[in-house]
Order: sequence, then structure tokens, then C-alpha cells
Amino acid sequence: MCDIDLTFVDNCIDRIGKTPDKVLPILQAVQQNYGYLPQEALEKVCDITEITPASITGISTFYDQFRHQPAGKHIIKVCVGTACHVKGANLIYEAFRRYLGIADDNDTDPQKMFTVEKVACLGCCMLAPAVQIDDIIFGHLSNEHIPIVVKDFLEQETARQQKASTQDYADGKYFGEIRICLDSSCVASGSGKVYEALKTAVEQLGINVVVKSVGCPGMSFLAPIVEVVSANGTSFRYARIRPENAREIVLRHFKPRQIGRKIKNTASFMLDKILADRVGKPVTRYSIDVRDRPVTLFLEKQKHIATEHCGNINPIDLDEYLNNDGFKALEKCVKGMSSDDIISQIKLSGLRGRGGAGFQTSLKWTDVANNNAVKKYIVCNGDEGDPGAFMDRMLMESYPYRIIEGFTIAAYAIGAEEGHLYIRAEYPLAVKRITEAINKCRDKGFLGKNILGSDFCLDIKIVAGAGAFVCGEETALLASIEGKRGIPRLRPPYPSESGLWGKPTLINNVETYSLVPWIIRNGGKSFSALGSANSKGTKVFALAGKVSRGGLIEVPMGITIRQIVEEIGGGIGGDLAFKAVQIGGPSGGCVPASLSDTPVDYESLTAVGAIIGSGGLVVLDESDCMVDIARYFLEFTQYQSCGRCTFCRIGTRRMLDILERLCQGQGKPDDIDKLEELAIMIKQTSLCGLGKTAPNPVLSTIEYFRDEYLAHIEKKCPAGKCTALITYSVTDDCIGCTLCAQHCPVDAIPINPYSKHEIDTEKCIRCDTCRKICPENAIKVE
Amino acid sequence: MITLTIDNKTVQVPEGSTILDAANKLGIEIPSMCFLKDFAPSTSCMVCVVKVNDSDTLIPSCATLAAESMKVQSDIPHVIKARKTAIELLLSDHVGDCLGPCHVTCPAKMNIPLMIRQIAEGKFTDAIKTVKKDIPLPAVLGRICPAPCEKACRRSKADGPVSICLLKRFVADIDIESPESYLPEIAPSSGKHIAIIGAGPAGLSTAYYLAQKGHKCTVFDDHDKAGGMLRYGVDRQKLPHKVLDAEIALTMNSNIIFKNNTRIGSDISIEEVKKDFDAIFIATGTLDQEQAELLGLKLSSKGTVEINSETYQTENPKIFAGGNAISKTRLAVRSVAHGKEAANSIDLFLLNKLEPGAVVSEFNHRMKRLLEGEIETFMASADKTQRIEPSQVEVGFNSSEAKSDSHRCLHCDCRKVDSCKLKNAAQQFQAKSNQFDAPRKHFIQYYSHPDIIYEPGKCIDCGLCIQTAQKQKEGLGLTFIGRGFDVKVSVPFDKSIEQALKTAALSCAANCPTGALAPKHNDN
Repeated sequence: MCDIDLTFVDNCIDRIGKTPDKVLPILQAVQQNYGYLPQEALEKVCDITEITPASITGISTFYDQFRHQPAGKHIIKVCVGTACHVKGANLIYEAFRRYLGIADDNDTDPQKMFTVEKVACLGCCMLAPAVQIDDIIFGHLSNEHIPIVVKDFLEQETARQQKASTQDYADGKYFGEIRICLDSSCVASGSGKVYEALKTAVEQLGINVVVKSVGCPGMSFLAPIVEVVSANGTSFRYARIRPENAREIVLRHFKPRQIGRKIKNTASFMLDKILADRVGKPVTRYSIDVRDRPVTLFLEKQKHIATEHCGNINPIDLDEYLNNDGFKALEKCVKGMSSDDIISQIKLSGLRGRGGAGFQTSLKWTDVANNNAVKKYIVCNGDEGDPGAFMDRMLMESYPYRIIEGFTIAAYAIGAEEGHLYIRAEYPLAVKRITEAINKCRDKGFLGKNILGSDFCLDIKIVAGAGAFVCGEETALLASIEGKRGIPRLRPPYPSESGLWGKPTLINNVETYSLVPWIIRNGGKSFSALGSANSKGTKVFALAGKVSRGGLIEVPMGITIRQIVEEIGGGIGGDLAFKAVQIGGPSGGCVPASLSDTPVDYESLTAVGAIIGSGGLVVLDESDCMVDIARYFLEFTQYQSCGRCTFCRIGTRRMLDILERLCQGQGKPDDIDKLEELAIMIKQTSLCGLGKTAPNPVLSTIEYFRDEYLAHIEKKCPAGKCTALITYSVTDDCIGCTLCAQHCPVDAIPINPYSKHEIDTEKCIRCDTCRKICPENAIKVE
Repeated sequence: MITLTIDNKTVQVPEGSTILDAANKLGIEIPSMCFLKDFAPSTSCMVCVVKVNDSDTLIPSCATLAAESMKVQSDIPHVIKARKTAIELLLSDHVGDCLGPCHVTCPAKMNIPLMIRQIAEGKFTDAIKTVKKDIPLPAVLGRICPAPCEKACRRSKADGPVSICLLKRFVADIDIESPESYLPEIAPSSGKHIAIIGAGPAGLSTAYYLAQKGHKCTVFDDHDKAGGMLRYGVDRQKLPHKVLDAEIALTMNSNIIFKNNTRIGSDISIEEVKKDFDAIFIATGTLDQEQAELLGLKLSSKGTVEINSETYQTENPKIFAGGNAISKTRLAVRSVAHGKEAANSIDLFLLNKLEPGAVVSEFNHRMKRLLEGEIETFMASADKTQRIEPSQVEVGFNSSEAKSDSHRCLHCDCRKVDSCKLKNAAQQFQAKSNQFDAPRKHFIQYYSHPDIIYEPGKCIDCGLCIQTAQKQKEGLGLTFIGRGFDVKVSVPFDKSIEQALKTAALSCAANCPTGALAPKHNDN
């Protein structure tokens, strides 16, 4: 009866191992192979390993990554991170489901072609709202783009398969190609000139690549479109290209024979600007590694320590890292510094943990260093999961060696010889780069036995998470490494006393480790010279939302919110007013515009009800509903609760019930009091940080935007966001162009050329498509 | 040794002891649901939280180690409020009834489901004891009661309610005819003496329950025979006097004196009664203004004697009232209920314990209206027989009819009603079931295991059953499935509970703090 070939299971267990802690990698391998977790395969795993049925079932249902049912051929991941949320991600999600005809109780279309999922954050907030189909990201979407996106994806898919067989050229090597449409409408928009410019650039740079004229991709409103297929087959598409961009595009993807890398990289970052700063609504595909990068503008406000040499060094090139002071700090440590020396520099620097809580880093190090246990562990927390935060992903993808160096220095200082780097499941590129970097370090003697000729040995293992936000909590993360459900436990004992496998364990966040080499090289004092009284050094933030220039920024602590939003972010852009900044994601709070002179440091933000957290910074304008924002974050934490303690498991759910009620216009007069009372109780009584901070977004929005809560009780949404509380209508400005009627997904607007259109409120699903498409701004929302 | 204080009391405990251990040593009771000795603390229910060293956060005492000079507070309002909230949150996610809907609907709060199960098992003596705990006149009520309980019976949604009233009559009738009729135990004499004015259902009921507690009762009635409206206001066809006489005789005992043909207010003055007796219960039936004044009582605007609705106490602390004197509904079962509840208050009064809050009703969590498909879940485990009508209507059920009908009971009440830690804590903290209005989850029942029943809606996710199965080396065992609010305890690989728990089932049920896992067969 078993129609699944289980030989893979045998092979994978031979490769991975049979002990209970191997359960996550085994499940990941099984899912990778079968596309889901067939029960027969799991039973087989239990038969031939020490893993029990109870354990494998508990774990495979705890983590979001695992599917127990087959998925469609392609997975559409709709990003519902904060930046995408405020730009209508839910409407996009619903629109995909509608377009693909997915039934309410399912996530896959009847033809089993597409599975549609929500993901917490794709880490490309500047492209919001964004979706990822397999390994291609589509940005700046709106509902009417969805049919085009699906069609485009499928066409490319077919093209890619055909290409696979003809890829090999005569000399056996495929260098990639550049395609451009020379269709009449594209030529009209200037594609002819771009074509010439590309050919010139290729010739001048001496790159062995073909510039091809191809058929029109059918998106002429984006023309001229240039598609670049790189040597490894991934393709990039650029919209509305001008001839002066040609050289940059060529340089970005193809290695010139004579020109140094530095130029290439600089060009590449200028190109990012075109890609990301572009206003408009084209459907544009990006390869998976085209995500938000550090904002290099307004450098004088920024200070790059964790992101040192940003834009200049190739992430994975060890030589380049070495040429830029790489591993100098480690060498200094193992050749001349004692554990005490190192820790006293860290103490002098005033460095506090960058994972959220802001605990003094030197205290943790001291605790573990002073522990006399023979076996100690060191762990790096790379399970960044806040929606709207992707600093750690960027650090891991762009500066893997710096993290490894900082981590190794810490291991040396505390006396650990075994390290674990836990990386979030959603960051495959980070896993790939860190793995590669570790291997190179081992080859060159920066890791492994007798590092740099000393007695010090360290081996690092990579653990890929499996999709559970709560694993960012240190005790849950340790449980996850041990191959258990990621359930936090009561502290004390703290990991520094009893951590991984019950041994003293140092656990710090990615960014914390990445600051260490600079501190050692420049001295703790230099670091503490930056920042404010109690928050030293710099912090990396992901700036996103309603801001002209979003992206990753590294700024000295103590900079004000206003400086970040206006000077680095370039202000709100558009006609709407700046309303608030959400800082610290689901554990943080909303700081209103009136408090934007608040310095960004641990204490100041806590005082206004927010936290630095892991560093998400989402700018909101007056079209954002604060009750909806609170509901959004609580929905996230509620869903991510591990489910252990009553206050978090049921309490956050009851808070969400109330917030949903408010957004549905079914609020009750005492709902605000109930929310506050429950929120305070949950904060005081939850077992771990997730529960203790989950109510923050609600409390801070009640504090600063109470009038909006009161309005919702009166069944009004002042920002016009909560769909149950708003109606769409057509004003007299309507010119009868029928665009709204053509695009309405539910036929709520009858086609009536040259006459004022009407919206059937009963049928209307408030998807906002008509308002966005109307050329005359004749759709009113109230 | 470690020295710490809990609620300002100092205690010494060995290193490695938890705060809960230290509290136990001091005799300070800290409630807990998910904690069980010799099991790893799951720190899930958070009902055992305490405040330590003036920190704002509250921490679970079951898993927090006692430390030197620790200052623990377990009885301050902040802690009490948190515990109550934890319980109320658990209740907001709890699917099931503590008490059967019939039980709750019965004005006398008779444990109907228990009686029915005892009848089903042929334990008729146990059944009459169950009945008489709350209803002293079951043969009477079995003939005249309009049976509100049957309207609440869940089975009425399917194929008609269980014949509760006839079942009660059945056990009462065989008890009357038995040579060894059930007579309750009488406590040693308290030396107190109570005057009961009126020998109707309320007066007889009060006397019956007060006498059991060792109090002497004198029942005054202006008629020749006891029974009040039962004798003089009910159709004899419906309630033959033979039955009434026999059942009244069974309520009488050595502590009860019946003074017939005596009218208080004319034959004896109320002042005299007040002087001679420790307490007075007014069970005269409906009173007019004049009669009330003669008894020194005031009538409300509704024309009933004014009482404290919890204690039945009138303005005069010594005088209590019940039955039709305080109610216009003229329902015999309600009068019987008044009598029982007033007897309880009077007993507390005589012991000087009738303080505000002394009279508490039993906590009950209710599932409320059934959702679609749930009646089928209940029916799945019940006998499918149609409602039984007695072959001889005037005689009532015979023994086999009674057993057959009682097998139709859906067992809506919780199998762990007496041992459920959630119910006990809810009772202790006076928690409200509906503090958080939330959509209810579906009622699910797994009935296939030979020894236990699993109702996931009652699970509080403590995982003690998982640990129990693991300790007893079950091959398959149990596990948590999912995460967060939707986490549930279930069997790996969608296998059945029989496959999961081959030897540990009853231990799991015993260790389950609620009615989620319960033994299928037990004494009640």
C-alpha cells in the first residue's frame, strides 16, 4: 500500500545520524526530498533511529516549515511583514487565492499548481508589498498585477526548462545573456537606445556575453525591460531602463576581464538605488538575492561597524576580508590577550546585547568564563524573526567572516571549543554563505584545531531553524538545537549556568558578535565614545514603511527618530502626514510623531513604551490605522506563541479577540479597559520574553492613539483601513472610463461607459483595486 | 539549608527545594494544576504564581528554586488576581459542563446524572441516597413535578429526554415499599431547637435536613395532618394520600416534633416562639398583610416575605423564610429546594458562621448551546433506544424499564467533577466562567479506549499525560501537536488512543488535572 519510495530515508539517516538531536535536519531533508513529510517516511525514521513517534510528531507540527500534506508545484509566499502589511499585503494574499480559485479550507489550487502561504518577512521591505514565487521575488504589487505575475512566472518557468537542455554552448560553457525587447512599443519607449548601449558596454568591458533582442514580455508599460540571465541560470529583470544604466547592469552580473571588483560593487549598489527607489507600480521580478541592502545615502549620519566596508567587499571572498583587517582582532586575541583582557575591553566598550533585551555583554561573558565546567558551549542566535527586521540576515549574507571572527573571539574568551550557529529557516542564502565561510576559515586555520597556531580550538556547527519565531528566545533556541520543540523554559538557571545540554553556554545575537572584531581592533574606548550615556556604539536598523528611502542603516545610538526618518529616510514622501514609528516589531511599540525627538537608545525608547528590539523601524503615515497595527502585531505573536503558559497561550488570544472585534466594528465600551488589564497581567506573568512583550504594541497604541480605539468602538476607522468599517463609493469626478469595473475582482461595479459608475456595497470586498486603478481619484473611501 | 520568608513567615528548606516545597512546609496552600510531584514541572497553568522580592513579574512557585533571604508573597491581592485571571483564561477555553444541564436546571439541584447511572447499574439504594440528599419527597415530586430538568436534558434534542421524573419516582417507590427504607444518619444532638411554621414541602424539607445535622425541630401546622398544599391543594388522583403519608413518615425522625392544629399568631404568639427557639423558619405558604404582621414580618411590594436571597434570612436574623411565603411560583420542587437551602443557612447561623459569602453555590462551567454536530458526538457513546414509556402508566417504571431508560443518559456531566483541579480552583477563587467572551471550540469526545475517555476541549495543555506515558514506556504514547493557542495533546501519526496507551491509560487519567482524560468506569 505504500507508494512512496523510502530508500531516501535510509540514505539520509546514514548521512545525518540517528540520535534524537538530529530530528530537525532529518525532517528538513525528508521535506526537501518529498516536498512534504509523508507519514510513511516519518514512521520509517522512527523505526531506524532513536527518535520516538511522539517526538517526531511534536516537533514536525511545532515548526512552520514542515508540511504534512503535499504542496502545489510552486509555492507563492506572500510577505506579510510590517512594511508589506501597511502596504496592503493581506489584500494581495486574498487576491492570489481568489485568482487561483483556492478553496477556503485549503492553501493549494485544485490543479495543485500553486500553494499560497503567508510568510512573516521576506526581508525586502523596500519592494513592499512583495511576494516570492519559488525563488523569484515580485515587488511593488497591487491586485491588478496578479494575473500578469502568475502568467509571467509560468512563462519564465517554461523558458527555463527549455533552456536547461540548450544551455551548453559550443565550448561547453554558458556565460549568460542579456535580453531586451525591440518591439515597436518598447522601441518607442527607448529600448533601441538601451540595446545599443548594452552592446557597447559589453564590447568595451570585454565580456563574453550575448545581447539578444527578444520577444516582448507583454508588460510594455514597464518598457524598456532588460532581462539578464546570469551564468548560473538565474534571471533578473530591470524595468524602465535608460541607456546610461546599461554599463551598470552589465557590470553587476558579469565579471569584466580587466576591471577590479571594487568598481563592480560600487556600480552594483548604485543600481540597487534605481531598483529600489523607483516609484511607480511595475511588476518586476527579482532574483532571490536581490533584497534590501544597506542604504548608503547620507553617510554622515551613519557609522558602519557591524556593516564595516559596506558595499565594498565580496561577502564570501576571504582574501578580501583579510585585506580589510579581517581576522586581525582574532590574531590579536589568541596571540596576546587573556580572557580577562578581552572581556575587559568588551566591558569598556559598554556593548549591550543587540538581540533585543540589551543585557551587558561583558557580564554574560564573565559568567561563562568564570564557570569551571570542563565543557562549555557558545551559540550564535541568528533566528531573527521580527516582521520588518532583517538586519541579521543581511549581516550573515554580507559579512559572514566578521560574525565568525567575533564568535571565535568570544569562544576564546569564555573557553568554549564547540559552537552552534542557529540560523532561521527562511534565510537559505545566509545558511549557504555562512557554511561556505566556515569551510574556508577551517581550511585557512581560523577555525578548527590550534587556531592561528595557538592551543585554542573551535568547531562551529550550523543549525538551520525550521520556522518558529519563539526560537529567538534563548532557552527555546537551545531546546531547538537539542532537537526538541522550541519551548522556552523558566530562567533561572540562565544559559550561562545551565544551557545547551545542561552545560554553561554563551548565547549572543549575530549583530553582537559582529561588533566584537572592531571593538578588539580599535579598543573598547573607541566604541564607547559612540552612542549615548547608557547605550554605546552603533545599531543596525531596518528602515521601512512610509519613508522615501528605506533599507538597512547603521547609526550611532542616541540619534533621534526624527533624524532617522527625515535625514536618512528622506521623509515620508507623498502628501500624507508622518504619524508614528513602530520600533522593535512585535515586542516594541509605536512612538508618535510628536515624540520623534526621542533618542534611539535602550532607556529612552523603553520610557516611551517601545524597545530597540532587534531593530525593525517601520514608519507609519496617517493612512495607517493604529488599532489595525496593534491587531497585526498581536496576531503575529499570538500565532507564534509556543503555547506553554496560560497567559501567553490564551491571554494573547483573548486580546486578539477584542482587537478583531474592534476592527470589525463590534467593539464594546469596556474593551479598552479589558485590553489594558489583560495586557498588564500578561506582561507580568508570562514565562518568557515573547509573552512578556507581546502586549507592548497594544499598550503603546492605546497610550498615544486612544481616540482611534474610541472611534472603532463607535464603528469608525479614521484611517480608512479596517475593511468592515469602510465603504467604497464613486464620486462625481468619475469620467466613465470603466477601468474600475474591468478590474473589480467580484463584479461589484457594472460597466457603464461614459457614465458615472456605481459600486454595489453588498458585493464589494474592499480590496482597494478600484481606488488604486482610478485615473481620476474618483473612488471615495469612508 | 536555605532560609526564606513566605507571607512574612520564615522557613528553612534544603537546597534544591522549590518555593512550593517551602510553602508546603509552612502549611501555606498554593494552588496548582499542572504540577505533580516527581514530574518535571511544566510551568504551564501559572496558577501557582507568587511575587518574589518586590519584582513586578510573577513567577511559578512550582519550578522556582528557593533562594537565601528570598521574600515571597503568595496572599497579596496582586497574586490572587493573577491566579484568578489564569483560571478564567483557562475556563474561557474550556469545553464541557461540570454539572449536567438537568442537574443545574433542577431547582433542588439534585445530582440527576449520578442517580441515573446508579439506576442503570441496578444500585437502587445508592440512587435513593443520591435523591434524598437534595429531595426529601421524591415519590411525591415524582408524581407532580413539571420536571424542568427534562426540558434541559440534552437528549431532548435527539429523540426525547430521559424520563428523569419517572426514574426518581421509581427509586422512591421501591424505597417506600422496601422493609428497609433509607433513613439518613442523624448527627449527635446540637442542643439547638428550631421552630418551623408550616408542614408543607418547604417546612418538611427544612426539618428533614436540620434534623440530620442534630438540631431539634418542632414543626407547627394549623392542619391536622402534615403536607400543606401537597395534601390540601393537589389532586388526590395524581398524588394518592397513601404515597404522601408514607413519604412524610420517612422524613420524620426522633429530632422532629409535629405540632398539629397549632396556629402561630393566634394559638401561640410569635414573641413566645422567638423566646423559646434558637431560630424560626417560616414555611406557612402565601401570607397576606395581616398574617404577616402577626408573625412580625414585612411583605415586599410583590406580596412576599422579604429575605436575603442567598441566606433566606429575614430582617430579623433569627427568622428565616421559604416556600410560597417568599415565592409566587407555587412549584413544590422549589419549596423543597428552599427548605434544603434554608436548613443549611440556619445551621450556619446556629454555629455563628452565617457571614456574608458563607453560602456559596457549587461552581459550574457550562458549555451552553450545542453547536452543529455536537449532539451526534454525545449520542455516539449512548444507548440508541427510544424514550421508554411505562407499560403501566399508573404504576410507573418497572425495574427493567427504569434501567433501559437510564441507559439513554448522555452523561453530560464531567467524569472528574469531584477531582477536577480547575473546578476546585475556580470555586476557591470565585472565578467567572464568562469573564472573557470567546467563541467556543467544538466539543469532541474520544470514546473508543476501553478504560478512558478523552475530551480535548477540557485539556489545559500541561502535558502530564505525555510525561506519564513516557515514564511508563508506552511505545507510541502521546504528544503535543501544533503550537500556541491551537496546541493539543494527541496521538502520533493519527493513530488511536487505544494504540497510544496500552498500559498507562488509567495513570494518565488519574494524573490529568481536569476532566480531559477520565476513567470510563468509576463509582459515580
